[in-house]
Amino acid sequence: MIGKLIGKRKLKINTWRKLEGALFLSPWIFGFFAFMVFPIGFSLYMSFNQVRIVPDGLDIQYRGVTYYKQILFENGSILYNNLIPFLQEALIMIPIIVIFALLVAIMLNYNFSGRWLFRTIFFLPVIFSTGAIIQEFYDQGEGTLGFLEQYNLADYVSMVLPSSWSGPIIRIMNSFVLILWYSGVQILLFLAGRQTISATVYEAARIDGASPWESFWKITLPGMIPFIFLNLIYTVVDLFTFPRNPIMQKVTTSDYGKSSALVWIYFVIILLFLGLVMLVFRRVNKTYQQTR
Amino acid sequence: MNRLMTRMRNARLDTHALSAALTRTKLVILGRELDKGLLFKLFLYVLLIDVAFIYLSPIMKMVSTMIKNAGDLSDPSVIWIPHEIYLGTLQNAWEKLDYIKSFLVSTGVSGIVALLQTVSCAVAGYAFARLQVPFKNFWFFCLLVTFIVPPQVTILPNIIAANQMGTMQTWVPIILPAVFGHGLKGALFVIIYRQFFMSQPKELEESAKIDGASVFKTFFKVMFPLAKSAMVVVFLFSFVWTWNDSYLPSMYLYNSDLQPLSRGLSIIATELAAQAEITGPTPYQDSIKMATAFLMILPLLILYVFTQRWFVEGIERTGLVE
Repeated sequence: MIGKLIGKRKLKINTWRKLEGALFLSPWIFGFFAFMVFPIGFSLYMSFNQVRIVPDGLDIQYRGVTYYKQILFENGSILYNNLIPFLQEALIMIPIIVIFALLVAIMLNYNFSGRWLFRTIFFLPVIFSTGAIIQEFYDQGEGTLGFLEQYNLADYVSMVLPSSWSGPIIRIMNSFVLILWYSGVQILLFLAGRQTISATVYEAARIDGASPWESFWKITLPGMIPFIFLNLIYTVVDLFTFPRNPIMQKVTTSDYGKSSALVWIYFVIILLFLGLVMLVFRRVNKTYQQTR
Repeated sequence: MNRLMTRMRNARLDTHALSAALTRTKLVILGRELDKGLLFKLFLYVLLIDVAFIYLSPIMKMVSTMIKNAGDLSDPSVIWIPHEIYLGTLQNAWEKLDYIKSFLVSTGVSGIVALLQTVSCAVAGYAFARLQVPFKNFWFFCLLVTFIVPPQVTILPNIIAANQMGTMQTWVPIILPAVFGHGLKGALFVIIYRQFFMSQPKELEESAKIDGASVFKTFFKVMFPLAKSAMVVVFLFSFVWTWNDSYLPSMYLYNSDLQPLSRGLSIIATELAAQAEITGPTPYQDSIKMATAFLMILPLLILYVFTQRWFVEGIERTGLVE
């Protein structure tokens, strides 16, 4: 009898707790439906229709998969002409950004005088992380590294590689500085991650006679692997959703249906690319764990 | 003889002292370990200064282009330092931007969005971290999805919705999502808060509960004030990113009077292009753009100088990375 009562009471407390929790999350859930689920669903719906804004609402005509067919198979200038160079560039840029951020974070973690000054400089990109200004630098050709031009590396690259790859590589070389500018948040994350490895581990390794070189490969790098993963994902999402990226700029209000179809194709490509990155990362990580 | 002996002993002592001094200098230069010596520090400084120079050169170029006069701009021998400091371009850009007004618009909107996100994302983050919510894992999955959905997927339906509700050309569509813990990078802020609250000890809430405080009281009186470091990080990032964002304003506000600073560059670029068609290109074309860019980021630079330490220390303290 008493047990039953207590059980009932516990049940009541549990439901009460759940209610409170739901109440706390409800604004976010409402927002999720209003600003995510509904627009996503509607944009999927629009991609199969021709949509026009008329004075008394919307004029919608069913078009089926016409737009998808047009973008994917008929008119290459809508998607492929921009997508393929962009994907090639992304494939080269992502490792550069992540490795550069990792190295800078490790350097900034050492204790030396004037560290705050360097930290201030290297976090600057965090506050300029937008398209507008980086794009302006890019347009003015501010991103080149002097020595690359001096040695005529571009000519060499275009001689050695087929033209489909030399184009993106030369473009990356010409805006190399700006690529490094993308890495502000990544440096922050790496630096914060580096501090999760406690100094005592290094102390112990030193006493056991490990050189700094060894402790980098055996302690620092394995400890940073989760952050490398985090940064890979962040970099992919950041690069692909950058408003200035060539495909994103084609999403305009001039043709709602076609733009929606384009966005959906692009979104699927992002997901595939993320999946690819995860797969490669898992593979690499596995072999790394085995060799260790 | 005796004297000779002493002298020899002294000499030996000297060599001893010398070798001791040598080892000491060796220690100073090379260090007890590789990464503690002077040589390593020197190497580190050279490397960092080099990279920092590469990093800063676009900004320095921006400032130097901005203050060149027409003669210096066309003179190829003038690379970094102009013959005289010419502020006319800066003034021109200032007027074209309608600086005071767009500065106030940007500050107001970024401030409002940042404040709203600081509070609303905290509520959601706390629920994710500590409360019992039905289907919590599912909602968390949804949170991660919102992080990777590009804004371009949702923009067109949102524009249509704004059209229907008559909120086009106003700031409402940009501010409204922030009320509910969404908006620009809202998912990231919720995750930051979640990680922070998860790293806090549970005893605090339990003692509050024993004292009979409701969840709301526990949150707003105990847990939320505790999250100061997370709040600062979220506020700063939200402010900076909203300030910099030119995409959403360009979609919602293309015809409005209340243009933010972030749109300045594209507005001035179109203005210059239109002018160039009538009167031909001016030598100041590039330097006006650079001056505009400089004016756009100047307030952020000033903010950054004062809050710089929060950017990294805050992130460490929020426990985002654990």
